Amino acid sequence: MLIINCPYCGPRDQSEFSNGGEAHVKRPDGSKEIGDREWGEYVFIRANPKGLFYERWVHTHGCRKWFNCVRDTSTDEILVTYKLDEKKPNLNNFKSVVKTPSGEPEVGSGNFTVEK
Amino acid sequence: MKSINLKENQFIQFHQKISFKFDGVKYFGYKGDTIASALLRNNINLVGRSFKYHRPRGIYTCGIEEPNALVQIISEYSEPNTRATIKKIYEGMEIESQNRWPSLENDFGSINNLFSPIFTAGFYYKTFMGPHKKFWKNLYEPLIRRAAGLGKPPKDFKGISNHIHHNVDVTIIGGGLNGLLAAKSFINSNYDVLLIDFEEQLGGIINNSNKISLIDNKEPKDWLKETIQEIEDSKNIKILKNTLVTTYNYINHLIAIEDRFVGSKPIEGKVNSTLHKIRTGHTILCNGHIERFLSFQNNDLPGIMLSSSFEKYMCRYGLAPSKEPVIFSNNSNSNSLVYSLIKAGLKPKAYIDSRSGEEIEPNLFDLIRKNDVPLYTNSQIKGAFGNKKIEKILVEDSSGALNEIKCDCLCLSGGINPDVHLFTQSKGLLDWDEKDLTYKPSKPFQPTITLGSASGQFNFDNLNSDVNEKLKTFKVKKLDVKLELNTNTKYNIEKLWEVSPQKKSLWAKSFIDLQNDVTTKDIRQAITEGFDRIEHLKRYTTNSMGTDQGKISSINALGIVSDLLDKKVNEVGTTIYRPPYAPLSFSAIAGRNCYEFYDPERKSPIHSWHLKNGAIFEDVGQWKRPWYFQINKDESMHDAVQRESKNVRENAGILDGSTLGKIEIKGEDALEFMNLIYTNSFTKMKQGSARYALMLGEDGMVKDDGIICKISDQHFIATTTTGGAATVLGCMEEYAQTEWPNLKVFMNSITEQYATFNISGPKTREIMKKAFPNINFSNEEFPFMTFQFHEFNGTPLRILRASFTGELGYEIYIPSNSAPKIWDNIQSVGKEFGLAPYGTEAMHLLRAEKGYIIVGQDTDGSITPIDLGLSWMIGKSKKDFLGKRSLTRSDTIREDRKQLVGIIPSNKADKLEEGQHIILDKEIKSPVPMLGHITSCYHSSTLGHDFALAVIKNGHSMIGTKAYASTSSMSTTGVDIVKPVFYDEDNKRLVS
Ligand SMILES: [Zn+2]
Repeated sequence: MLIINCPYCGPRDQSEFSNGGEAHVKRPDGSKEIGDREWGEYVFIRANPKGLFYERWVHTHGCRKWFNCVRDTSTDEILVTYKLDEKKPNLNNFKSVVKTPSGEPEVGSGNFTVEK
Repeated sequence: MKSINLKENQFIQFHQKISFKFDGVKYFGYKGDTIASALLRNNINLVGRSFKYHRPRGIYTCGIEEPNALVQIISEYSEPNTRATIKKIYEGMEIESQNRWPSLENDFGSINNLFSPIFTAGFYYKTFMGPHKKFWKNLYEPLIRRAAGLGKPPKDFKGISNHIHHNVDVTIIGGGLNGLLAAKSFINSNYDVLLIDFEEQLGGIINNSNKISLIDNKEPKDWLKETIQEIEDSKNIKILKNTLVTTYNYINHLIAIEDRFVGSKPIEGKVNSTLHKIRTGHTILCNGHIERFLSFQNNDLPGIMLSSSFEKYMCRYGLAPSKEPVIFSNNSNSNSLVYSLIKAGLKPKAYIDSRSGEEIEPNLFDLIRKNDVPLYTNSQIKGAFGNKKIEKILVEDSSGALNEIKCDCLCLSGGINPDVHLFTQSKGLLDWDEKDLTYKPSKPFQPTITLGSASGQFNFDNLNSDVNEKLKTFKVKKLDVKLELNTNTKYNIEKLWEVSPQKKSLWAKSFIDLQNDVTTKDIRQAITEGFDRIEHLKRYTTNSMGTDQGKISSINALGIVSDLLDKKVNEVGTTIYRPPYAPLSFSAIAGRNCYEFYDPERKSPIHSWHLKNGAIFEDVGQWKRPWYFQINKDESMHDAVQRESKNVRENAGILDGSTLGKIEIKGEDALEFMNLIYTNSFTKMKQGSARYALMLGEDGMVKDDGIICKISDQHFIATTTTGGAATVLGCMEEYAQTEWPNLKVFMNSITEQYATFNISGPKTREIMKKAFPNINFSNEEFPFMTFQFHEFNGTPLRILRASFTGELGYEIYIPSNSAPKIWDNIQSVGKEFGLAPYGTEAMHLLRAEKGYIIVGQDTDGSITPIDLGLSWMIGKSKKDFLGKRSLTRSDTIREDRKQLVGIIPSNKADKLEEGQHIILDKEIKSPVPMLGHITSCYHSSTLGHDFALAVIKNGHSMIGTKAYASTSSMSTTGVDIVKPVFYDEDNKRLVS
């Protein structure tokens, strides 16, 4: 289980939070004409990378605030959390630790992990 | 095997006798005995039958690694698969052996051993294929399940567990020599430390062997006592005994299980185990090592035991399982057993070592010579033989000659492994050590430190420097402990995984996994058949897949595989060590979150009235809602629902609607926010009026509905469906924070603050007038879809004129605390008008007659407002709202979408059912094109026949045509497709 650092409450157990998928996905402006593709991508398409990922979380059983984070999906490590109105951090500031494209080791998998 | 009691020690006193029953026979042991040590004391070594071949099995070890001696504890809710080697006995304990019938001595299943040549790896997959698919499910599987397996599941379980959370700086796992030294370093430091040990007494190797002679020039026992006292006195260190760490998760999250009734019978109703959930800054693994066995013919016979286990029985339990065991080893770890035996005045019958004379430690050599122990160097055991117990062994000596030695006990040592389970669970990396022939921890993934033999340090020479170096980051005081040993100091091992049998035979068995009955032959066969990847091989042979996870044998399997493939062991790799380290009961995981705490029940303020008035409840989310009210025990549900609904149509009914979600929305920009959340437009709506509203997902599908009351442009109250309350509030909060943070708006749940009564029926106005004489309920003063605030006897009320039944109706919102009083009052004034309570089922029937939908029943997340015929609810002039743009997607505007219609049977006497498919043809000839299905269906006593709502393709244009509903008996019922409204189509009853 992860520990997540709520920008408002501090570090808390993962069980207090809910995941909200990819962050920084902009909702198209309803007052303007929106193309099928643009709208379709907003509603249905999300990135699912192995490695560094901007992600939304909400402190459901806490302050109920939404916030953003950078999570490494290959190690589950949450590298930074920040408020919605803060600028998104540059991913180059973090070292991605992804080593193999599929993660499947050559030999028995018991001794396989992502080296930090 | 004839055992002998040695001297008393601090753990076992011979005057504290305890009686217990094993397979119905009464025996005696001593306080502090495990089931295994007590049975060995009584010269019982046959304790179970094996998993597949039903071979007789005995006690192999003296700890948690035990593969064989699993028993059922009858006196503890018949808890199965309990390790006899760790479970302590108590007065009156009842134990049964497992997997045998009719008895342990004469087991019918042992016939499997005769057929064993065909029960090889992959046997089930290959054999039970035909002649028909059903044979597996109905014949083979039940048969196999009865014959194979471990204990029987308990029938009744009353165990209680609780959970305790810890947040500490350092957790030390294992209270042996290294764990104590680590804890000693932290005494009176600024760190919060947790020291966890699986046993009742700290000390590990100091208690379990005679390896160490002096610590700081003191008897080890005395040093131990002093050290434990110092640690206990230190305020920053907490000790958890009888606690096994089973799981090492991400971010140093540990799970440990504590047995609260060691050596006594769990008391019913008391917590008998505690699950500790630990968050720690650093984890120090001092969990030691596990000895492994060796493979040779019949290496599973009762009477064969690991050598360090034999020594542990001597040191911990004052018991030598045999007076003259034979010892077979390929390494130096068994030296101390020889020393312990001779110190106790006993003598090994023979010492057999695969190593050459030069490699054997000189002090062992001297000890053996001095005491005339027959010594076989460069020798191997070819096999063990006997009937249900070991009687003799066959030794091939250095000259290649065969020697037969009679014996009643054989002690084995195939080397030792650091206990790496927890380290690998933490995702640490292992390295194969070619000299010590084992995997050792190398790179940790988390802040994990390993000490002592858990880190692969099998010698004691670097004890101080190792601890000091690894604990450097903590800047705690340095250790300087002086150790003196009884035996050698340098660990030495020679490679030996398996000895091939003397005679090739189909029945000769050398086991590699005792619990799952996997033989070395199975491994060979799997590799021949192409399962040469270790993960495939494990699953094909089931090697190390038992409850013991092959603790004493999995490395041996890797050794054998590497030899067969002619690869290095680190090229073969290991399989994943998965949590839990040892089986964890479901009750421990559940803790107190079971029975009434599993999912809390929510009850309306009127609940106790419902109980007294014959309510039968239905679960709606966590809520208990009256489904229908029984006026007497003989009334069927059908009769009750027809009676209740008829009464609403003719007189008046009252429904407890308190469970409806209620959300209050306030703020400068509340109006704009509501316009964005719901499809409707609230701009032109008058203050004090209400509106039925829909909420969509961004995909344009209906997610929830409710009634919105507009108090002002800055203040709204919304109702939601009972089940959707939390989701709707969550959605509002999400959009307010993430998409429209510029809007000044706040929202809060007021579901539980207010009770809601829905009163409807033609006589409702009369009842309301009488119940609240100060309020004018005339149609002019209080029109349909308006609400008013009032006060009644000091209680604030909000009354909304709305209806979900199609009759004249009011909804009264009352602060929950005052609700029961007002409910009672309405009941008593309503009596003369025939007012009666009705439940959710009658409500569903009544609303369906009006064609009102229920989100989640008539919709399923793929239905738009247009599909429902509710286009009038969409504020088309609004620039934006949730899901607006999706209503013009190509998929939502396509022609053949499923749309809501009404269905009635063409022959009014025919019955309809929810879920029936609507099709075009009377005859069912596959493939049958399916138009849609019935979503709600009821019998209406008002209409006098069945009727239904359905979603069918192009439904709106099919109104007025005929179709068929398919039945479960492959026939069809003719139906008419009609408008989805069956009662008072022009809403006369609603608005008058
Ligand atoms: Zn928070």
